[in-house]
Amino acid sequence: MIIQNFNHKMAAHCESGTITSLLNHGGLSITEPLVFGIASGIFFGYFHKMKSFTFPTFIVRNKPGQMRRNIEKRTGVRFKTYDFKDPVKGQQTLDQLLLQNIPTAAQVDFFYMDYVPSWERVHINVHFLVVAGKEDSKYNISDAYFPRMVELDASSLEKGRFAGGNMSPKGFIFHLDKLPADIDYKKAITKGISKACFYMLKIPIPFLGITGMRMFARKVVEWPKFARDTEHLSHEIMKINILLEDQGTGGAGFRFMYATFLQQAASIIDKPELKDLSDELMKIGDGWREISLFSARIGKNRDLGPDKLKMLSEMIYDRADVEEKFFKSLSKAVK
Amino acid sequence: MDDLKLEIKKLIMSTLAINDIDPGEVDDEKPLFGGDNALTLDSVDAIEIIMAIQRTYNVRIADQHIAREVVRSIDSIARFIAEQKTNTVS
Repeated sequence: MIIQNFNHKMAAHCESGTITSLLNHGGLSITEPLVFGIASGIFFGYFHKMKSFTFPTFIVRNKPGQMRRNIEKRTGVRFKTYDFKDPVKGQQTLDQLLLQNIPTAAQVDFFYMDYVPSWERVHINVHFLVVAGKEDSKYNISDAYFPRMVELDASSLEKGRFAGGNMSPKGFIFHLDKLPADIDYKKAITKGISKACFYMLKIPIPFLGITGMRMFARKVVEWPKFARDTEHLSHEIMKINILLEDQGTGGAGFRFMYATFLQQAASIIDKPELKDLSDELMKIGDGWREISLFSARIGKNRDLGPDKLKMLSEMIYDRADVEEKFFKSLSKAVK
Repeated sequence: MDDLKLEIKKLIMSTLAINDIDPGEVDDEKPLFGGDNALTLDSVDAIEIIMAIQRTYNVRIADQHIAREVVRSIDSIARFIAEQKTNTVS
């Protein structure tokens, strides 16, 4: 039985889309960009040498789970969360929630979501979706990356929820517990923007924010040292495009989604200057898209000489410069 | 609409430096990716096309899910550009 009145909607990103979906079902009319912006979803981090990564990489959003916690802190919404050691208990709890007509978000390893064609499935332990019903041994899944509701075998959902490895889901589920009587959007939006600016401009960790972006620009020319061969290097360089464009970022490494948030925020809190900043960020996003294209092109053509990596480095330095200016203006706008 | 579709075919070919196919050979409805159209493209070509469309028609295809649908065929690209232009005018 599919939960009554549950409306499936596609979204740009799985975590912000899942949170939006639960809030909308609970009766709160809020958009995904607004959730993303209030939750300070925009971010940058570069990881040159980390135990958990076999090759240098970067992130363009805050830590998985942080969006949910930030939404709670800034709006007064409450989610109830559960994690499990025992898969049987994990399934029983989920089934009980569904019997109570409660759509429930789950963290899964994307690889086991077999409604996705096999060639698109990769192991990512931080994919989020909404379980919105169960019929016999199949769950009804609302996955923000899919145009319609899909079905998933109980065994596949269990494998996804209890997959091992880095950031393993441990059966994690959550659902809406309480909506506040009123939300102070001005306060929530301002706080969300201020925190995002802090993380981009002032966080005193050299691989995060704008300084992290500059580290990425400086270090990308060293990537050949980490690669086994040209094939491996081209794969990793092409991954820049995937991380920016193809992993539920809403385009240009979440920059387009954050620009949409600023546009919506401008009218909600009556700050027209946010609209101008939104236009500026769209253009900044176009520059990230140029980086995507450049990386994809040199990777595909195996054209990975030092001159090309130097060009890529300069393009990233340029994004750091324009984003630094942008976030300084944004910070000033909400002071 | 037919003029727009022809323009799109020429734009794709010049962007991807394809010289060995006549625009008339490209089917409007058949998928451009992994199908049996005269033009068969890959995901890197898709970004090239998205950016060429943005530069030429001043319409941004931001979200990747929408992008996937838009660049599916010549028909879908033409429909998207026409809709965006109508929205901008109205």
